[in-house]
Amino acid sequence: MLERPYVTQYLTEHFGEADYPTLEGYERFGGYGAARKALTEMSPDDVIELVKTAGLQGRGGAGFPAGMKWSFMPKEGDRPKYLVCNADESEPGSFKDRILLERGAHQMLEGILIAAWATGASATFIYIRGEYAHPADQVERAVAEAYAKKYLGKNVMGTGFAHDVIVTRGAGAYICGEETGLLESLEGKKGQPRKKPPFPAQYGAFGMPTTVNNVETFSHVPHIIEKGANWFRSFGTEKSPGTTIFGVSGHVVRPGLYELPLGTPLSEIVFEHAGGIPGGRKVKGVIPGGMSMPILPAGQLDVPMANEFLRERKTMLGTGGIMVMDETTCMVRVASVISYFFRDESCGQCTQCREGTGWINKIVDRVERGAGEEEDLEVLADVAGKMEAKTICAFADAAAWPIQGLLRHFRDDFVEHVRQRKCPFAGSFEL
Amino acid sequence: MPKITIDGREIEAADGRTILQALDDAGLLMNGVDIPHYCWHPKLAVDGSCRLCQVEVEGTPKLQIACDTPVRDGMVVHTQNERVTQAREGVMELLLVNHPLDCPICDQAGECKLQDYAYDYGVNASRSKEPRRALKKNVDLGPTIVFDQERCILCRRCVRFCREIPKTGELAVFNRGDHSVIETFPGIPLDNDYSMNVADICPVGALTTKDFRFKIRVWFLEDVPGICTGCANGCNIHLGVANNKVYRYVPRRNDAVNDTWICDAGRMSYREIGAPDRLRECAVRNDSGRLDPVGLDRAIEVAAGRLRRLIESKGPGVIAGFASAHATNEDLFTFRRFLAALGSETSGLAVVRGKADDLLIKEEKAPNATGARAIGFGDARAVVDRIRSGAIDAVIALGHDALQEGLLGSETPLASLDTLIVLDTHASELQRVAHVIVPVRHAAEKLGSFVNAARRVQRVVPAVESAWETYADGEVIAKLGAALGLEGFDGSYDAHQVARDLAAANPEFAGIDLDSVGDTGRELVDSVASEAKR
Repeated sequence: MLERPYVTQYLTEHFGEADYPTLEGYERFGGYGAARKALTEMSPDDVIELVKTAGLQGRGGAGFPAGMKWSFMPKEGDRPKYLVCNADESEPGSFKDRILLERGAHQMLEGILIAAWATGASATFIYIRGEYAHPADQVERAVAEAYAKKYLGKNVMGTGFAHDVIVTRGAGAYICGEETGLLESLEGKKGQPRKKPPFPAQYGAFGMPTTVNNVETFSHVPHIIEKGANWFRSFGTEKSPGTTIFGVSGHVVRPGLYELPLGTPLSEIVFEHAGGIPGGRKVKGVIPGGMSMPILPAGQLDVPMANEFLRERKTMLGTGGIMVMDETTCMVRVASVISYFFRDESCGQCTQCREGTGWINKIVDRVERGAGEEEDLEVLADVAGKMEAKTICAFADAAAWPIQGLLRHFRDDFVEHVRQRKCPFAGSFEL
Repeated sequence: MPKITIDGREIEAADGRTILQALDDAGLLMNGVDIPHYCWHPKLAVDGSCRLCQVEVEGTPKLQIACDTPVRDGMVVHTQNERVTQAREGVMELLLVNHPLDCPICDQAGECKLQDYAYDYGVNASRSKEPRRALKKNVDLGPTIVFDQERCILCRRCVRFCREIPKTGELAVFNRGDHSVIETFPGIPLDNDYSMNVADICPVGALTTKDFRFKIRVWFLEDVPGICTGCANGCNIHLGVANNKVYRYVPRRNDAVNDTWICDAGRMSYREIGAPDRLRECAVRNDSGRLDPVGLDRAIEVAAGRLRRLIESKGPGVIAGFASAHATNEDLFTFRRFLAALGSETSGLAVVRGKADDLLIKEEKAPNATGARAIGFGDARAVVDRIRSGAIDAVIALGHDALQEGLLGSETPLASLDTLIVLDTHASELQRVAHVIVPVRHAAEKLGSFVNAARRVQRVVPAVESAWETYADGEVIAKLGAALGLEGFDGSYDAHQVARDLAAANPEFAGIDLDSVGDTGRELVDSVASEAKR
């Protein structure tokens, strides 16, 4: 039996129950009641309105309001409409979707069914990252169970509504988590983001109107249908309602997943829930939302974990993957790891991203080796600036932001490398 | 029709066009409004990846790529300001970070967009201290193209070309990020009928043709507008000329004919011009059966003497003519008039045929079959039948198309003729049995017009002069007509005047002269429609 996450709320409440991943176990805790309610008692517009009122923000990184995204789907026309469940959890430092797939596949499927009803989608593609073998098995088993019980298929729950779910696997590329890169990969092509417009709601999977939502976003939906918008808004902040699952990793006593209301102070998560820094060392910096989000220095950890507050500190919630680094950490080495990742994962379409990620990585590595000059730091900042907001997708921004954050808050680390002509952090982790 | 304002200039655009397309439609792109671009090509799908064509659109916070931003009525676009320039400088710096900067040994130098835009938006020194990417050099992509991976800027025009135009898809981008490279799939070379176009559309020196590379620096070349003579499509070309020699054909954009493309066979047909088998001197057959080299006047004299003797003994009905679809309208109209004045009743057009496709390549392998037919030349089979039946004693042949087409089966029917007069550009089996031979000009050496398969009249102008004496077919015929004392022939030939005469005599050519045809051509008058109108 899986160890319970350290803090649970509605999403993860029953994840400790051995049979919860099965349809029988899920129904024992009232599962599929929300879907039945939506399909029999609510119109699609009612569902969209309710989700809009609840203020559910997408949990995949960008935080776009889910209800509004659903309302972009065309109402007219006889083209089939699709949903895509983005289970390509590829952001380094992020591992919350994995547990939602492994332990809560039916919760996610119920959310998908409700969203399908709301948008009139005839099928959902669940795109699971290639490395997630066990989660994919769990989802496939759950889908088979739902078909067997006629919760999926031609006549869902006897309502006449038809919906199919197709599980597909990625092949291990970060960029396939970007929604249009995912669609290309889903169609069997090389995972390269598409130009927008047209947006997926007009031209998505296989050219059909499509809405792409994250695993966690779908997982919140049954709870909103069941308990209402006001209940949902009782969690979190005015602008960012609900809970989310923070994945804490790095230099903490209790790394793991913590389901907490949005707006929980970062310091509370790091020092109380995750038990603080081991060995009595001091915290140096914390990446708040997965590797592509700019780092926060030790002095700024009081920030409530919701986008409206994080934006003031020039960072974002992202996927809620919190990476904690203590005082022994070399921030140039961190920059090296991050820039190598983005250099390796850039799809290579756009000039700025293809050439910029490589150049940044080469400069950072040279500084880390002790061969950097002061002027290199200006070039670093300048190249990162040239990559921002100028490309087909947000990957170039995601590659530029963490470097800008590290330069903003830990410039001294870079300068020391240049002065001493070597890395001053002997105890830092090895590359 | 949406109206948009670009740099203070109002232009009208068609619905659904992008900013770049609207400028291209208006003929302003890089001709009044300079928006640098690499991946965008007017005849290929939008890629939107090079990010160089960013412009400022009022009311939109981010810069927008002009290649993929549809026009809206009232849109105000700025293509030249500080912000836009900075974005372009950023792209140029990044493109040059890994470029080998080997212009001194690069064949693209002089017609390289990376060079051009680096002058406009680049800096003199690179800020990069990092080693540049080391990739494959001299990659043999197939029979026609050599690839330098290091010079490639991954605009992917070549990839889209192969997928969208010949639809063969030999090229693809392999790997990701800054280790992306363009390659062919294992065991499948870049080999299609249009493969060499990738060298034209490659904005840098990554893709070059095996045929042209290292032959000459492009700044020595003069681009002379002309027409490809490889088939009836009449693709518009530039002849690259230096030192009175044609070094290459490259396609010249004409959306009504060939867009921006040309087939490989047509492109390589420039080699005909300076080929070793060009006919270089006039010759007449002597009594012992051997050919004696002579001057043009003597050749005309001998030809006229032979024809006159036949006319006197048997009448002009025994004289037949083979027209050539390689000859210009002006040559052919002169020949037509000549045969009529002579009283010959037998003439026809031989056209070599070959494979065709639904893109550019036409079945008739000569530029002017449609023109020849419009001027009144019917099928050459009738001529051959009459030769076989023994009714013909003399043939005047423009070119050796009849031989190539296999109409004659063997040369036997011509070998038994009393007189065979051949006007040709290149040597052929006909020379073995001809009595008079006159070398004539290639299309690259003369003024005239062709009519393509879509009835478009297009002009050729002299791009080079042959190093030996040559004559337009029409000029030779005009001299022969004068030597025979035919009515309307004083021995002079002026292509402009012949074109005007043709326009006056033939309603399909009404109003068309060699000046008004211009560099992009105009359509033949539809005689049926124009008669119906009357």
